[in-house]
Amino acid sequence: MKKQQIRKMSVITVILFCLTIIVTSMIGCKASQVVSQKTGVQLWTENCQRCHNTPSPSSFSAEQWETIGMHMQTRALLTNEERDKIVEFLKQ
Amino acid sequence: MSKLNKVFKITVCIFLFSLCQTKISAQQVVVDSSVLYRIAELEKQVSYKKSGEDNLLIVGVATMGFAAYKTTNTLNGVSSIAKTNSFPDADNFEFSPMFLWRHGKDFLMEFEPSFNNNGLSVNWADVSWFAAPGLIVRAGYFVLPFGTYAKREAAGWIDKLATDPIGIADMTPTDYGIEFEGGLPVGTMKINYDLALTNGNQLLSDGTLTSGNIVDNNNNKTITGRLGFLPFSNSSLELGVSGMFGKVGDQGSAAQGASGNLYAFDLNYIKNVSPFLINIKSQYNIQNISRVNFISPVDSSQTYTFNNHTTSFFAQCSLRPVGANGFLKNLELAGRYTTFNTPANSTFGSNQYTVAVGLDYWLSWRTVFKITYESFTGNSTASKSLNAFNGNTAANTIYVQFSIQL
Repeated sequence: MKKQQIRKMSVITVILFCLTIIVTSMIGCKASQVVSQKTGVQLWTENCQRCHNTPSPSSFSAEQWETIGMHMQTRALLTNEERDKIVEFLKQ
Repeated sequence: MSKLNKVFKITVCIFLFSLCQTKISAQQVVVDSSVLYRIAELEKQVSYKKSGEDNLLIVGVATMGFAAYKTTNTLNGVSSIAKTNSFPDADNFEFSPMFLWRHGKDFLMEFEPSFNNNGLSVNWADVSWFAAPGLIVRAGYFVLPFGTYAKREAAGWIDKLATDPIGIADMTPTDYGIEFEGGLPVGTMKINYDLALTNGNQLLSDGTLTSGNIVDNNNNKTITGRLGFLPFSNSSLELGVSGMFGKVGDQGSAAQGASGNLYAFDLNYIKNVSPFLINIKSQYNIQNISRVNFISPVDSSQTYTFNNHTTSFFAQCSLRPVGANGFLKNLELAGRYTTFNTPANSTFGSNQYTVAVGLDYWLSWRTVFKITYESFTGNSTASKSLNAFNGNTAANTIYVQFSIQL
């Protein structure tokens, strides 16, 4: 019973993964216009608070925000566009 | 005569003009030399302070507090009560500076040593290469992409409650290997992926797993992957599915064929319902390890076996009145339900449940003071024949905790 369950879940996982890859490839990994037009402030609000409070821009220097932006991209798996816009906003 | 007068006037004008010019240029020479000197000094100062391609930044986390426990254990109808308290609450104390070293825009080194209840240890030490948009390649010692709690939510200044959900972080290894990850836009949605190839878990003599071996215990590498899906354009909902597959038995041992198959499902949802910010987090972990024979701790000439199946689950909701004024907007209320079921008939089997409620006060966006009450119930399902059954345990604990992102 357990083995069957494991197989079933493995199959479902693989199917979901493949479907996502196929759909992604079909759409071409492009952000819609609505998403592309978002400002750094909007993206800062939406993405940071997914895990923690939104950081104050005054907490770090411009150089430090570049470093933190890269670190946060590895944690939250932000897109490059999101990271760049958020960092630009925080550097101001 | 009038012509002569005109020539005279022009000559006087030219004389006065040249006199003025001489005076102005003399003044300019004086002004220019002082300004030039000042500029040169400033340039020197700027050249010392100008941003280079590299940046070394020390951040990190410090978490400390106090815990008061009341534990009741019931075994064979006999109950015993123990009351203890401690500075700090040992499971959650840590002082972990994190070194972030950026090389231009392509490389980032992350190193986090930690002083905690295990003494001095390392949380992660890795190098990331930002190879292309949507592709980061990492190598070193890192937290595996299994669910999201351990990698994103466990830090004291992020976690809304003073404790970790039992079993969740314990089932997420930190290991040596290589990792590929990234986030990609898909229309109004986003997906993210994270795939790691590591040395893998090691099966211990009691059927539990350990990880983080710098030398692989077998020649089989473990694959861990997570796929995240953010269906809404405002990134408010993230759903993730993870899997970890690999051999866990030691090379050449009787258990060398044993494998571990683990699955995790995670959810994170955030919603502004004025004046509140609501955050729901959840994760469900499943761990299946091949059935193998272990040497009995009672009689080493005998073996025993059990169905090595473990699950853990938590669901958490927090509420913060961000739209309120003054004192109120810094408060946050959180509640969490957790279950952790370890294999029956093993030496460590139990069914555990916790309910935790907490009130936080945010001193700043990264500094929090927490009060958490947690109720724990543990019913042993361990083998009586192996003398491992330890009855039922109930514990009530109050935590007072302070955490800051350095």
